[in-house]
Formats: sequence, structure tokens, C-alpha cells
Amino acid sequence: MSYWLKDGEDVKPDTPDPHPLLSKGGLRGGVSELKILNFKLRLSRLRRYVLFSITILFLLQFLRIKVLVGGPTASLAFWSINLINVFAFFESFAASKSITMQALTGVLPVAGIYLIFGRAFCGWCCPMDFLFEMVDKIRIQKTGDRRQNVRPLLNSPLDKGRHSGIIGYGIAAGLLAVSAILGVPFFTRYLSHLTNFFMVFNSSVFLALDLPVSKTVLIYSGSALLSLLLLEYFAPRLWCKILCPVGITYGLFNKLSLLKLRFKEGNCGECNLCEQVCYMDVKITHHLDQPGLRDTNCIYCGRCVEGCGTKGKLVSMSLRAHK
Amino acid sequence: MVGTAAILGDNPRVMASAADDPSAGPKGPLPNIGAGGLIRPPGALPEKEFRAKCISCGVCANVCHVMKYDAIAIAGFTPPSPPLAKGGIGGVLNYGTPYIKDMRDFPCGLCMECPKHCPTGALQKVEKENTAMGIALIDFGLCFGWNGDVCLSCSKACPMGAKVFDFYNGEWGNQPYINDNCVGCGLCVKYCPLGGSAIKVITKKQYETVKSSYVSGFKKLMSMPNEERYNIVYSQNLPNIMERGKLVEREYR
Ligand code: SF4
Ligand code: SF4
Ligand code: SF4
Ligand code: SF4
Repeated sequence: MSYWLKDGEDVKPDTPDPHPLLSKGGLRGGVSELKILNFKLRLSRLRRYVLFSITILFLLQFLRIKVLVGGPTASLAFWSINLINVFAFFESFAASKSITMQALTGVLPVAGIYLIFGRAFCGWCCPMDFLFEMVDKIRIQKTGDRRQNVRPLLNSPLDKGRHSGIIGYGIAAGLLAVSAILGVPFFTRYLSHLTNFFMVFNSSVFLALDLPVSKTVLIYSGSALLSLLLLEYFAPRLWCKILCPVGITYGLFNKLSLLKLRFKEGNCGECNLCEQVCYMDVKITHHLDQPGLRDTNCIYCGRCVEGCGTKGKLVSMSLRAHK
Repeated sequence: MVGTAAILGDNPRVMASAADDPSAGPKGPLPNIGAGGLIRPPGALPEKEFRAKCISCGVCANVCHVMKYDAIAIAGFTPPSPPLAKGGIGGVLNYGTPYIKDMRDFPCGLCMECPKHCPTGALQKVEKENTAMGIALIDFGLCFGWNGDVCLSCSKACPMGAKVFDFYNGEWGNQPYINDNCVGCGLCVKYCPLGGSAIKVITKKQYETVKSSYVSGFKKLMSMPNEERYNIVYSQNLPNIMERGKLVEREYR
């Protein structure tokens, strides 16, 4: 059973009033919030703090502090560890048809991180996720339409109701092919939200510091970023769910990662609250009979965990291995 | 802290550095010789492979910033090669790749950190001496040393020093000549006191094509009768030098 909220109805996933189970000392099922020194931190808040902290770390490079130098596509941690985005690595490989030692040592730590955290990058570190959320807020305010999903597109004939992400894989593979043919990392250089976000960010700072900047970079990457925000306004998370090969690549890690959504038996009232708040269109309740959920679209934002009427009793996030 | 409006406003120095190739204009040195491509950071792979490997991550540019040189900028769509007119596709291929943009203000300090940290290997580790970013050419018509003066600021700034500079001292001045050992870092470009600099760095590939004419120009000057030289210096070169001193307002950063 699935229904959409009508205007005026409100799921209130963000309201702090605790579920009866919580006040009775529930929460045994897993975490829906972290308790640090008496501060209760909801996951949806926590991940914004994480994004904020990462941004601050990146900002330190402009004060010439060697903590995190570079941008979200690739960076240099502590002046010694190279980190390179997995899809960018593949594109560079496809375009040049060769692999260097540097690229290999840069991609391995990142692959290691995502073997643990799966696609959490998208929900916790990607700046676009935050910007998209702002756009979502504007759309909801303007239209009153709370729907986050683009079902018609996901339910295309190619992928009829299976949500296997087959279109996304097709696009990612196509982009790799284009890179190989053109001999340039095509997506990463021209289209990537991460590259364009970095270019806007970096060029603005360099411009403000009176350092050499090509203005066309700022203009191009700025317009590319704006187009993405516009796309988000009209087709919520179409980018994240289908178009973005970076997310698709990290989605593959979801199949193996330690981090996953876990279910406890029983108690599901089939209210579908979790699916209503999931903006990645994950069919959470379809997986209830399984011990965990390994959907390539899950970005571990934690909204389902908070949205579920049982508040962490039924759905939870877990790093532990399955029993 | 200055506002962006102020920066983009009428500050001539900033306007000069914000243009995509400040030394390429008619007021720059050797206006007839194009740079022949972007001057890449040290250790860059050959152009085609470089563009294939580089993922526009900006690590090199920001490493350069952290090292306090700020030499590397990310190329936009406008830089010179290969121009649309010559059957190329403009700067599209170069978009997003790093280059040394403004040697007049931000030459490469040869700290050799960027190749160490490029995550894709588009920049490969290289010894300072073996770097081949480009080659610096002196415009003999603009250089003080070739027009009756003593300057040699370029040779004093050059980190390669005597390996690179040959001097032909004579009655026309202390004439410096930069030989093929130049690594193309551009420090000389910055420290040349002439307005707009008398030195231009071009890619080694471009140098192959202009070498013969440049060298023959040099030889011609060296063997030129005094009277002819006198005419050139006083009727052409010195007025040009004076004009550049007046036209190009700049200060060292
Ligand atoms: S660090 Fe390497 S891959 Fe990154 S922008 Fe510079 S040259 Fe390209
Ligand atoms: S070697 Fe040159 S371009 Fe590279 S970081 Fe140092 S100063 Fe910048
Ligand atoms: S001559 Fe100029 S560009 Fe060449 S190595 Fe010396 S300072 Fe650098
Ligand atoms: S610094 Fe400039 S003017 Fe002085 S000798 Fe060198 S090229 Fe000539």
C-alpha cells in the first residue's frame, strides 16, 4: 500500500517530539540519534555537521594549512595521502588507457573507505546533497508538493519497477566509453557536479584573494551548477538517482559495504512513513523480510530511521555484520 | 579584504592579470611569436596524455597556493592553442587543466611539490634541472641590456643561473642570451623591470618551430654594423621601451 500525502497533511519527520517507544527507553534496535555528552544528535543533523566540518577542512588550505588540499574529486590529506574519486580514476584510466602508481595509491584508500561506508559519501560528504535539499525546500514551499520521487522515469520500460539502476549503469558505462573515445576524462572534466562545485568555490576564493583565475572557468562551472539546481527543482534527485555516475559507482559499494540498513522483525505498521521521507526512492518496505537493505540508491541519510514510527526500533543503521 | 566588485572594477593591475594571456597582447614581448600552447606545471606528460590523465581536480593549483607561489591557474575556454581559425577546437580541450597563467606576477618557483602530489600522475616527479615547462626568449628590441644599458635582472632571478645565461657584453650593453637549458619557470619574466617584461616563455614544442628565425635574428644583431644598430636602437627600440615604461602600470606583488 502506498499513498501520497495531500496538501496540508504533514509527516513532520523533523519534529523532535519523541515516539512513545523512545521515551520508554527504546532505541535498543540501533541508532537513530547519537548521544554525545547529553547532546542528542539526530542523524540528519549529524550528517550536516560532517559536511560542514569537511568544508572547513577544505577552507584551511586557503590559509595555507596542509590538512586537506584539493577538492572533492581528488585531494591530498595531511600533505601525504592522495585521495581520488573512484569514478574519476576509471575515467582517467579509460581516457589514457594506462594506469599510474599515483592513481592506484590514491584510489585504494578511497575504495577502502567506501567498502566500510558504502554510498554514504552522497548523503554525508557531497555538497550537492545539501544544495539540493535547499532547492527541495524552495519547491515544497512554492508548490506544496512534498513528493521527492520521479517514479515515471524510474519506471521506464528499461527498468520496469525493478529499481535495479540499470539506466544509471548504462549512463556511467556510456560516459566511460566517451572518455575512452575522446581521450579526455569527459564527465569529470566538463560535467561533474564535484568538479564544477570545486571550480566555483576555488575560483571565487582565488578571485577574492587577487590570484590568477580564468573567468571563463567561473562562468562555465557556475552555469553548470545552476543547471543542476534547476534540474533538481523540476526533477527531484533525478541527478542522484540516475544521472550521476559518481553516485552510481559508490552505489555498487553498497552491495558489499559494512554499513547498511538493518531491520528487526515485526512491528511494521505499513504506514510507509519511511518511504515517504526517503528522497532517494528506496523501496524500504520491500526489503522487510531480509536482514538488511542493500539498495544502490541508499545514501544513509537516516531519514527513514527517523521517519519510521518506531524511531529506530524497526529500521536502523548498522556497521555490524549480519548474524 | 576587498569586495569582488572592487576587484573586478577598474584596478588596471588586476584587469591585466585577469585577462587570459596578459603577455600575449601587442604590448607584450615578441608579439609575433605565440606561446604555442599552455605552459604546464613541471613534470607534465606530453600534451595529449596530460589531457587524458588530468581529472581537473585542482590539487596542483592548491598545492601551489599552499606553497605560496600561486603560479597555477585552471584554464578556461579562451587560452590560445589550438585556435579555432587553425582548425583546432579552441580552448575546449584545455578547459579545466592547470597551466602557469601569469608569469609576470606568478611564475613557478620550482618548489617541485605539485608533481609530487598530482593524484593521477598527469604530472610526474621530475628533477628541477630536468624540468621542461618551456623556454624563455628575450625580445632583443625591448631588453635594456641589448639597447645600451646594464640590467641583467633576469639572470639574477634565474634559479638555473649560469647554466642558462650567456652574456655578450659589448658597447651596446650587457647583452643576455637565454640558451636551451632554460626550464621555463618564468622567474625572469617577473623580474624584468621593463613594463610588460621583455621576456616571453613559450612551449618547447613551439620553440622548435621558431628557433631558426629567433637564432638568426640574434646572429644578425651580433654581426650588425654599428651604424645600422645605432639607427635601430634610437629610432625604434628606445621609443618602444619608453612607451612600455609609461603604458604598463604594474607593481610587484
Ligand atoms: S593535480 Fe594532476 S590531475 Fe589534478 S588538476 Fe593538477 S595535473 Fe590535473
Ligand atoms: S613547482 Fe612551480 S608550479 Fe609546482 S607547486 Fe611549485 S611553484 Fe607551483
Ligand atoms: S631563464 Fe627564466 S624561465 Fe628559464 S630557467 Fe631561468 S628564470 Fe626560469
Ligand atoms: S631583466 Fe629584462 S631588461 Fe633586464 S637584461 Fe633581462 S631581459 Fe633585459
